[in-house]
Amino acid sequence: MTPASMSSAELSGKAPAQDVALAVRDLNFHYGSHHALHGISLDFPARCVTAMIGPSGCGKSTLLRVFNKIYALYPGQRATGEVMFDGRNILDDSINLDMLRSRIGMVFQKPTPFPMSIYDNIAFGVRLHEKLGRTEMDERVQDVLTRVALWNEVRDRLNAPATGLSGGQQQRLCIARSIATRPEVLLLDEPTSALDPISTARIEELLDELKEEFTIAIVTHNMQQAARCADRVAFFYLGRLVEVDTADRIFTNPREKQTQDYITGRFG
Amino acid sequence: MTPVLRSSHRKAGFDTVFHGLLLICSLLVLAMLGGLILLMATGGWQAFARFGLSFFTKASWNPVRDVYGVLAPLLGTLVSTLIAMLIAVPMAFGTAFWLTYIASGRFSSIVGTTIQLLAAVPSIIFGMWGFQTIVPFIARDVQPFLNHHFRHVPGLGPIVSGPPVGTGLVTSGIVLAVMVAPFITAVMVDVFGAVPPMLRESAYGLGATRWEMMRKIVVPWSRNGMIGAIVLGMGRALGETMAVTFIIGNVTTVGWSLFAPRSTVASLIALQFPESPEGSIRLSSLMALGFILMLLSCVSLVLARCLRGKRQ
Repeated sequence: MTPASMSSAELSGKAPAQDVALAVRDLNFHYGSHHALHGISLDFPARCVTAMIGPSGCGKSTLLRVFNKIYALYPGQRATGEVMFDGRNILDDSINLDMLRSRIGMVFQKPTPFPMSIYDNIAFGVRLHEKLGRTEMDERVQDVLTRVALWNEVRDRLNAPATGLSGGQQQRLCIARSIATRPEVLLLDEPTSALDPISTARIEELLDELKEEFTIAIVTHNMQQAARCADRVAFFYLGRLVEVDTADRIFTNPREKQTQDYITGRFG
Repeated sequence: MTPVLRSSHRKAGFDTVFHGLLLICSLLVLAMLGGLILLMATGGWQAFARFGLSFFTKASWNPVRDVYGVLAPLLGTLVSTLIAMLIAVPMAFGTAFWLTYIASGRFSSIVGTTIQLLAAVPSIIFGMWGFQTIVPFIARDVQPFLNHHFRHVPGLGPIVSGPPVGTGLVTSGIVLAVMVAPFITAVMVDVFGAVPPMLRESAYGLGATRWEMMRKIVVPWSRNGMIGAIVLGMGRALGETMAVTFIIGNVTTVGWSLFAPRSTVASLIALQFPESPEGSIRLSSLMALGFILMLLSCVSLVLARCLRGKRQ
């Protein structure tokens, strides 16, 4: 998406409806009595990388955790408003959580390999939703490992425990695991914060390839990362969406003073 | 010498003394275990030497003829512990899982605290409860019912046979289970709680249900801890003395029935040790039993270590 293609709807955080993977409207989120998100309205265009930036505690991770309803595991956390995904409001109680989570994948701050083999880590999620034969599963595993550029490194030890991989490899494995269930949206919560610079660069390259197929929402503390990877950047502050625009605009010519202050390092 | 150096000198001296004290403490532990084993082994030597292999294969424990075999109490201990673990482990696992991942808020914390309190109840209390409640229940309801219906079923008949006195292996197994289950539960709650939240969220994030998350993530991850919890519980069940003495019936016989009075190693020692004269073969046999009981606990611990070692 280039600045030239932006319409007035774009400027207000909304994109044309057919291209929107996730549409957030007037979302409020509470941790018990703490009001963590205030009236968020934000579109996530399909097959784009949308980065969420802002100081710690601004609500960006909270927003990510709304999209796959992982917050619902914890009593006292509740979201109100509307998050439209594939024509339905996922905040409805009638939403099937297992199905939703197979279509909206998530990768966490630290690599979370399961206590099983590399192969089984990938197969775990697939087996939850599909019945594949041995060859199909082998193909799926090879396919996703190839796409995260891990295949050549692990092809000889697919049956080795995943915990034996390096941190960067583990995180790529987790991404592979998430895309193995063929989701439409990929949520990344500071996916490189626990990784070294080289592993970080590889994950960032990977995002660029993955966005051809997936809608990606990434939370990051690293503004260079947002500038490098994201098509659109949303800046959050104290639970409110301050500004959303193309990465170019946000980092060169933001509209809001708060955004300006944040990206120039005056606070946060 | 400057004051600063002098004071650090004194500190170093203190450090040496402290190290020495700690070393003595740890050596005491070794000496204690070694001493116990030595005492039991030498005490039991006379019995081992006199009866040889038949000490382990003979069922009779006969103080009148002064012939002793440990098969009856040994089987009693093993079978009652096995029954107890069969009941307690699933119960503890379910409770621990419910407490950790399903129950929420106040009710869960009430139940959690209750379990810890139960784990701290002295075993003699469970013995009295078993004697007052479980023994009559088995005698009046359970065994007559089973005996009536399964008496002629091949294989099951002998197991449920015998006069309905209420004491025996099943009764002991039930009481032991109730006794050790809170203990196992409390440890398992800690073990389950140690599974990193992000790992759980990852599984849920892929669309796993609670059951799938538990079976594929929590159980493999907490395997070692669960084995530890089970072995701790088993250790208690193997060595439990007073509660079992109340309800096992204390008859040194071997047979198929799980409802007839039996004895266990610990209960037999508790009953006969005080009245065995110094230097008698009976006392030696009891010491030998003690040695076997220690061995049993050690073996279960080693077994747990091996099970743990497998996973890497």
